[in-house]
Amino acid sequence: MNYIWLALIAIGILTAIGTDIYEISTNKYKNGVEFQAFVEIEDDFKFGTQLRGNIIASGDYFKEFYSLKNFKVDSVKNEITLNVNQDGKGVLIVKIGETTPEFWKLMAKGKGVNTDKLIANVFNLEKLGDGKYKVTLVFEKISFVKMKQILNAIIEYSDIAVKIAIGLIGVMALWLGIMKIGESAGLINLLARLVKPLTKRLFPDIPPEHPAIGAIIMNISANMLGLGNAATPLGLKAMEELQKLNPKKDTASDSMITFLVINTSGMTLIPATAIAVRAALGSGDPAAIISTTIVGGFAATIAGITSAKILQRLKIFRKELEEKENQKEVQG
Amino acid sequence: MNFKEIMNIISVIAIPFVIFSFLFYGFFKKVKVYESFVEGAKEGFNVAVRIIPYLVAMLVAIGIFRASGAMDVFVAILSPITNLIGFPAEALPMALMRPLSGSGSLGIMTEIMKTHGPDSFLGLLVSTMYGSTETTFYVLAVYFGSVNIRKTRHAVPAGVISDITGLLAGFFICKLVFG
Repeated sequence: MNYIWLALIAIGILTAIGTDIYEISTNKYKNGVEFQAFVEIEDDFKFGTQLRGNIIASGDYFKEFYSLKNFKVDSVKNEITLNVNQDGKGVLIVKIGETTPEFWKLMAKGKGVNTDKLIANVFNLEKLGDGKYKVTLVFEKISFVKMKQILNAIIEYSDIAVKIAIGLIGVMALWLGIMKIGESAGLINLLARLVKPLTKRLFPDIPPEHPAIGAIIMNISANMLGLGNAATPLGLKAMEELQKLNPKKDTASDSMITFLVINTSGMTLIPATAIAVRAALGSGDPAAIISTTIVGGFAATIAGITSAKILQRLKIFRKELEEKENQKEVQG
Repeated sequence: MNFKEIMNIISVIAIPFVIFSFLFYGFFKKVKVYESFVEGAKEGFNVAVRIIPYLVAMLVAIGIFRASGAMDVFVAILSPITNLIGFPAEALPMALMRPLSGSGSLGIMTEIMKTHGPDSFLGLLVSTMYGSTETTFYVLAVYFGSVNIRKTRHAVPAGVISDITGLLAGFFICKLVFG
């Protein structure tokens, strides 16, 4: 886990730095380069006031200016506000909306702050006709787009993590309460006894009638039925029970890993989310993927259990378990 | 009534049925159901709070990875290899994102189905892939985090093997059925 975690972060940051340096060296965002376009003003023209209007540029010019590969729009038109002084110099603000060209959206997003607009300095304004002007402008400087996105992601995802955890409290409490009743009544034990032939092979180090088995079975059933809300609390309950049996509290036991692999392989009988998205996008047969998904999930589960069972015997993965035994010997 | 309808009905009634049967079995066995429920439920808060540091660590790392655009680099590196088995390059981001991020892979799946249509081979393939595996790294962080386990031993390799198998099996069965 240490390596994976480090690798994700290191690869991410290095890629971002590399991309940013490349973009600076090729001046992808054309910092400091003059952009020429037409402006149509809706209000009565007055120097030194905020005027509403649209910026218009031909698609070919836009494509060539930003050296874009795929740009199939004939002409770019976007809402702006313009404020110029008598000498023709001033500020033009491009409002980012739904019809804004993707590249401008990208530029605005790359600013990190005030991402709903692009600000440009106007250097020259030339009257062409009724409310129509030709402008020469330079957009604000944009650089380190990826680094800013990473910065945003760090803050955003730490927030999401807490929200997910907080969001779990309610269902967690509900299922832990229900499970407690089941335990006190002996229902969980009964459940464990029913599936004993299967579980004693999968989890040889759990006593066959331990409450952990009951929780595991309920978690797997909830997953199979696509009941994600119930599956997580039941799974965490199972982990808690498995932890009681675990001799080394900061290290995963064989049974825990086998259980987790069954969970992450996502064997399900109803891929509810995928079906819902397909239906929403107008599929002729949203449920067509049920059979293929079951096959995929089943294969993943078998492969997962098999590899967990094989890997748990390897020396590198035994080492962490045996460290404890060595310590015991030292203590003894 | 087909398989899907039956499964839908089961998934709707499963939770109320389980709650009902637990309560009445408990009552029948003379368990003080209300007290027992509250006793168990009060742990809910602690479990949720316990997973926060693990979840922050995992999601921030995944967030950095996603925001950096490193995914595109991996797609470029891997696509010549996956081309050998006829795996479409468009579906590769899905395969790479699926174990990392649930919302990320949902976004990719939706995007691909929007551009290529949900009933195209690509659409069927990505939706099968979405259903065939879980968000491995999220599950590992939450489950191990809930019991404060930091040394995960072979959990990651086994999980990744299972993901790869699931994605490949999903691809081959799609090729067989829809291809």
